[in-house]
Amino acid sequence: MTDGPLIVQSDKTLLLDIDHPMSTECRRAIAPFAELERAPEHIHTYRLTSLGLWNARAAGHDAEQVIDTLIKYSRYAVPHSILIDVAETMSRYGRLRLEMDPVHGLILITTDTAVLEEVIRAKKIAPLLGARIDAETITVLPSQRGQIKQSLLRLGWPAEDFAGYVDGQAHEISLVQKDWKIRPYQELAAEGFFHGGSGVVVLPCGAGKTIVGAAAMAHVKATTLILVTNTIAARQWREELLKRTTLNEDEIGEYSGAKKEIRPVTIATYQVMTKKKNGVYAHLDLFDSYDWGLIIYDEVHLLPAPIFRFTADIQSRRRLGLTATLVREDGMEGEVFSLIGPKRFDVPWKEIEAQGYIAPAECIEVRVNLTETERLAYATAEPENRYRNCATTRTKRDVVEALVEKHADDQVLVIGQYIDQLDELSEVLGAPLIKGETPIKEREILFNQFRTGEIKCLVVSKVANFSIDLPDATIAIQVSGAFGSRQEEAQRLGRILRPKSDGRGAKFYSVISRDTIDQDFAQNRQRFLAEQGYSYKIIDADDVFQGKI
Amino acid sequence: MEMRSFSDYLRSVDDAALLNLFTARPDLVTPVPPDIASLAVRACSAPSLARAIDSLNQWQFQVLEASASLNEPFLEKSVVTLTDKEAKGALEHLVTIGLVYPSEDGLRLPTQLRDVIGIEPAGLGPASMVKLKLSELDDAPADAKKVLDRLVWGPPRGSVGDIKNPGPGVTWLLDKKFLVPLDQRTVILPREVAIALRGGKIHKERFIKQPTLSGAKRDERQINLAAIANVSTVLRWVEELLNFWADEPADALRAGGLGVRDLKIISTHLGVDESCTAFVAELAYLASLISIDADDRILPSNKFDIWLMQTPADRWQMLASQWLITSRVSGLVGRVEAKNVAALGPELDRVNAARVRGLTLQLLGENQGTAPEWNSFKEVLSWRAPVRRNSSLQEELAEWTLREAEWLGITGQGAMSKFGKQFLGGDDLSSINEDLPKTVDHILIQSDNTAIAPGPLEHEISQALAMMAEIESRGGATVYRFTESTIRRALDHGKTGDEIKTFLVKTSKTPMPQPLEYLIADVAKKHGKLRVGNTSSFIRCEDTALISQIMNDKKLEILGLRRIAPEVVICDLDATDAMRVLRECGYLPAGESANGMILTGPKSNRALTKPRPPRVIGEVEIPDKDSLTNAIRTLRTGEKSTYRQTRLRQVASEALGQLPRTTANETMEILNQFIIDEKTLSIGYADNNGGVTHRIIDPIRISAGALIAKDHATGEVQSFRIPRITGVAPL
Repeated sequence: MTDGPLIVQSDKTLLLDIDHPMSTECRRAIAPFAELERAPEHIHTYRLTSLGLWNARAAGHDAEQVIDTLIKYSRYAVPHSILIDVAETMSRYGRLRLEMDPVHGLILITTDTAVLEEVIRAKKIAPLLGARIDAETITVLPSQRGQIKQSLLRLGWPAEDFAGYVDGQAHEISLVQKDWKIRPYQELAAEGFFHGGSGVVVLPCGAGKTIVGAAAMAHVKATTLILVTNTIAARQWREELLKRTTLNEDEIGEYSGAKKEIRPVTIATYQVMTKKKNGVYAHLDLFDSYDWGLIIYDEVHLLPAPIFRFTADIQSRRRLGLTATLVREDGMEGEVFSLIGPKRFDVPWKEIEAQGYIAPAECIEVRVNLTETERLAYATAEPENRYRNCATTRTKRDVVEALVEKHADDQVLVIGQYIDQLDELSEVLGAPLIKGETPIKEREILFNQFRTGEIKCLVVSKVANFSIDLPDATIAIQVSGAFGSRQEEAQRLGRILRPKSDGRGAKFYSVISRDTIDQDFAQNRQRFLAEQGYSYKIIDADDVFQGKI
Repeated sequence: MEMRSFSDYLRSVDDAALLNLFTARPDLVTPVPPDIASLAVRACSAPSLARAIDSLNQWQFQVLEASASLNEPFLEKSVVTLTDKEAKGALEHLVTIGLVYPSEDGLRLPTQLRDVIGIEPAGLGPASMVKLKLSELDDAPADAKKVLDRLVWGPPRGSVGDIKNPGPGVTWLLDKKFLVPLDQRTVILPREVAIALRGGKIHKERFIKQPTLSGAKRDERQINLAAIANVSTVLRWVEELLNFWADEPADALRAGGLGVRDLKIISTHLGVDESCTAFVAELAYLASLISIDADDRILPSNKFDIWLMQTPADRWQMLASQWLITSRVSGLVGRVEAKNVAALGPELDRVNAARVRGLTLQLLGENQGTAPEWNSFKEVLSWRAPVRRNSSLQEELAEWTLREAEWLGITGQGAMSKFGKQFLGGDDLSSINEDLPKTVDHILIQSDNTAIAPGPLEHEISQALAMMAEIESRGGATVYRFTESTIRRALDHGKTGDEIKTFLVKTSKTPMPQPLEYLIADVAKKHGKLRVGNTSSFIRCEDTALISQIMNDKKLEILGLRRIAPEVVICDLDATDAMRVLRECGYLPAGESANGMILTGPKSNRALTKPRPPRVIGEVEIPDKDSLTNAIRTLRTGEKSTYRQTRLRQVASEALGQLPRTTANETMEILNQFIIDEKTLSIGYADNNGGVTHRIIDPIRISAGALIAKDHATGEVQSFRIPRITGVAPL
């Protein structure tokens, strides 16, 4: 019996004991083919999936290597069925290939005619195919490259794509590393993406995804379209690119509600892309307006449906998705992977924290007791209003007040879902409020004042959930949220994860009404972070008032 | 003494030879025959011979075929000529097992043997009756050669259009006696001709040596590692299956066995496919760990508890030893061609299952360290047991045996493991206990409310955890998840929140994360806040002193009172009885309605059930307007006589409403009277649905319980069944 760090379970999960001396080595070895599912404190869970195994094949690993790795690190004997399954799954990859033929254009070619016969008979595949050339070859409609790859994947016969990517219009971009250095994991992520062609990079909030984007651009060296969530984020990207790369102001355009610049590097917002004029998406042409060599999707977990559809049509361009939390409550994670590309890089949050690149954070759930009247109001509320009712109770206000007072020296963000609750808090705390209707100009001013320390406390609505870079915020107080959304919780924590100049840790308070659905939703919201190893501490509101924390 | 017969031979051999014979053919001594004569009879009987032939490998069988193609007595030399010099060894074996025996003048075959192997051994026809000039075969014309080519490797019979007018080739052959006519249309090739054409041998190919088994070579350490993993897995499967059935017993099908639905349920529960599930269920069944009770429920037997107490090696041996000898074949479950064959059902037995299983394992044992490649394995198998009788499933049986041996851990990575070797060799299996991963006595709890047991858990701990958490992943380790409902389940099983906490703190190597602590506390706090019970009535009183009084009243004990709140007492009797008893004891209760109103005033008893008045039999239903109009129209058109029409119109409407009910006797009387009088009648007649219609008829006669009459409505003669006539009235 070996004493390895890995336990291979019969349901294809791999349990990695991270307290084991060989765990780091083992994680590196299994990362290419196994997907990280959960990373709590002691045992990380990876999963062997067909997709992961095929990606490993695509990256040049073969079944034997995978099996050797499993056997080498496994604590107990590896179930025979798993070994067989790995070999079988991996052998399915590459029987079909997509190639560019000088005469026929895009073709699907096979080494195994039986497989080809099987797939061309599939209902979903047939309409995507053109004329049969010979027993082993068939043409594919060029516009259906993304679609056919996706459909073949679902059939279990993934096609190896040799058709390559269009280079796009070349444009010189390099990183300028004067007063900063790219971090090793950022470099690994950018390289992982570049060698894979397209794909998604998952990094914790605050770990510098923009730089991964910039590094990717420096690899591709071509015109780039960057899609971001909102105008503020667009400007942040612009700032970063100016600071980190050789690009100058004239080369970067902003394509938003306010400006419509198209430059070699264009930063567009999802909002403007999905705006409809006379029932049609007026701005989707942007995708065709330049011969883009790279398209970057920031916060790819928010990818809106129309862009989803459009992305299927541009499979010949390199695509990079960036996100911290690829969990969607609508279960569309799979779609993201198949349209943008497979996960190219993923690393547990706690590991980046251990390396000092994101601030250590403490998560605290503050439970408040409802007063008798509030309990009664909650008990009799209509089911659809119940969450709102308990999430916005008056009692929370006092707790928030006490917390803000306690952290008077820190930069504090108060985050919530319901505007009237935030209005009230803003008034009570004497802190400015940023919400959907706040003009961009004013937002920028307020954020700037917050960054410089002129404002100590800021009340924000969900507009600040993503992409807002507030390096010195150390305290976040969440008073309400979008029900049980796991990624919202993680993104909000992300607002305070930028490493602080003095190495201080961040604190994330979540104020919850006890014994209500607020508490149930909170449990679901916390799942993602708990699986990343963030352990929530639960305290009582009275402890806050008595200054016990 | 002349020695010709088989019994003579048996009498002549020594004890050692008999011993060998009996070892090879145990059916000859079960039961022990009274004398040599009856032993000989038994040994020469067709079933016994067939069984002995089944035990031959392909080469031995070829030699036997060659022997059968010779005339008795024959010499070893002739057999060798027809086959190969290696035939000597095979012949010796045939003699040992009594399929060939020596006599004074040469070797002989037991009578009946020829019948058992067929009259045309190796596709050879009968010996020629005349002396043949075989050298002339070389001069055969092309047509004849073609015919010979068709027949030479058997079957030796060929059909010709008409024996009197065959083709030129056949004619030549018939002339030379190289073909013999059998009947009008059939000819046969004599044995000598075929042997000559086959080049003096019997078989195209002589399979003297067993083909070598090819397959992947495995490292012994890896084999044993994989095997021990399989051993621990199969033990876990059985335990989990039985624990599952203990909680939710499956129902046996009426025809016996486990239904497809139940099989699917456990298959999902165990996380294995259905064929493996069927195998596990059968294993438990064979080892008597489950029994099917009188209500057709499949439940773990009390042997299961004993089994659980044993060491892993003993547990495993109990399963494997039953599997080895069973005639039941779990592989049959769920095959497309036999959909209704159920696990644990009555249709799983196959005669050759144990034999093929034994042979398969023997082959694995002979090829240590090799995970056989299936095609090669099939070849070897068919050399060792050339398919002759009961052949249908031999390959499938072998395939299933390989699969099941792997599941059991007799093999690991497809090759025979040391446990398999020890088990088949009847050796001590304690190495299983030593090699199984050591049980662990701790878990690791993490802040995402999961707990991980990094190895097989000790039995009590795993039982306790199974109650308070859900298993998320199985294998070498186990991942448990705590949720509100799993904690609730533990509380329902009588644990308290504190007990759960203490247990987890004690068992976990890592500190208990606070969220889990809160989860347990929250659920425990809420658990049992609402209490539910059964009661028949309640007694309520705002005066708590009075409540105390009735609680202490000995005479009221019959009410079974229980005080559930200062002002409320519940009672076993229903409200009426409780009031009666209370009144008898001098209290002054009043009833209370569902909404708290006091029920006073003179109480008149009313039934609680909906009234269901008795049905009125024989009532003529009052026709509705439509039928009245119909009746009238019928009257208008149906009647020829104007006079009668007028009269009828007047009486019909009267008569319809007031048709008198008549008893059966009256009905008969009136009918008879009217038949004689030939007068028109009005009757009520019940239809098939029980609806009574009104008819106006002219009765004609009564026949076989029916009234034959002319119906005015249709104008046709119809029969009316007397019992259905509800009433009769003259118009």
